[in-house]
Amino acid sequence: MEHTQQRVVHANVVFGNKSEHELICKAKEGDKQAFRTLYDDHIGRVYALCYRLTGEKGMAEDASQEVFIQLWKKIANFDGQSKFQTWLHSVTANIAISYMRKQKGWVQRMFNLENSGINEMPAEENSTDVDLEALIIRLPERARMVFVLHALEGYRHEDIAKMLNMAVGSSKAQFFRAKQLLKEFMGVDDE
Amino acid sequence: MSDFDDKLARHISELSKEKQPERDLWRGIELGITSAQNQASNDDVSSSTVTSRQWIAIAASVCLVTVLWFAAPFAFKADESRSDGYAFINAMSVQQQQQVNSLLASYQSTPALTQDWQEQLKELDDAADVIKAALKDDPDNSALIKMLHHVYQQQIALIERVHAPKWQQI
Repeated sequence: MEHTQQRVVHANVVFGNKSEHELICKAKEGDKQAFRTLYDDHIGRVYALCYRLTGEKGMAEDASQEVFIQLWKKIANFDGQSKFQTWLHSVTANIAISYMRKQKGWVQRMFNLENSGINEMPAEENSTDVDLEALIIRLPERARMVFVLHALEGYRHEDIAKMLNMAVGSSKAQFFRAKQLLKEFMGVDDE
Repeated sequence: MSDFDDKLARHISELSKEKQPERDLWRGIELGITSAQNQASNDDVSSSTVTSRQWIAIAASVCLVTVLWFAAPFAFKADESRSDGYAFINAMSVQQQQQVNSLLASYQSTPALTQDWQEQLKELDDAADVIKAALKDDPDNSALIKMLHHVYQQQIALIERVHAPKWQQI
């Protein structure tokens, strides 16, 4: 039974890829309608990742737009060796990080803003019904980014360190910090 | 693996993979794509210039669309809530201008500490204009309103700083 289910899922993936493959080919040829369909199919995942990385709706919206504008320019680079969604996720993570860096630089230059610490405000204890996403958004920026990339997206600390321009040890430390804060937010006592 | 790790892993697995943005992002993307297509024909410019120019083009297009939108109220049925939202931005700008003018008047006889402060003030003015242009399109965008507020605060701080620096008061 389990074997049959696996075969069915695999068949769906193949059919799905075939249609997506056609859309990608058309988009590569400059077909905006095909690209729009790709946008409709993937905006949910792209925005979710941008939102969790940036922690702010406005920035997530801008970063998502930047992702698709860059995707339009770079879709010719997609060689089909990996799954499109995997490739798009990698592109999204890198563009969102780069976008945040640019925004942060601009905002800090213009407004001389510092971390307000609002995100570090303790959450109310609510251990029975946890809104993990809301708690992730409350994490400080670096801890949040490392947590999202490692725990949610499955990146290794070595890759995260390169993406965020930090030491591998710092990535691990930020991940530990994120977990400790989440534990605190969830009202879980230290064991 | 601790109980907390198990609990966290469970919450992560339950986390939705998708989240839909609250506003339609396609319009901006389409503008960016069109701009990218136009830029593709111009291969003399560097890649960094292309990016900044694209954004300027997008901003200009958004400005044009919003100006047309507000300039022709009888041709288009403007959304009332948008107008109300932008009226607030207008009021904020007028109030800021009054505050800046009154500050400048009060410091008229005080020499400024730096030479280029007016240039800096102009840069902040330009930043405010860009943000206001974006707000015309999306008057309820709290991030943009916050940004505009910060720019205005920065203008006041700049005028006060160059005319009465804190170290002079010590």
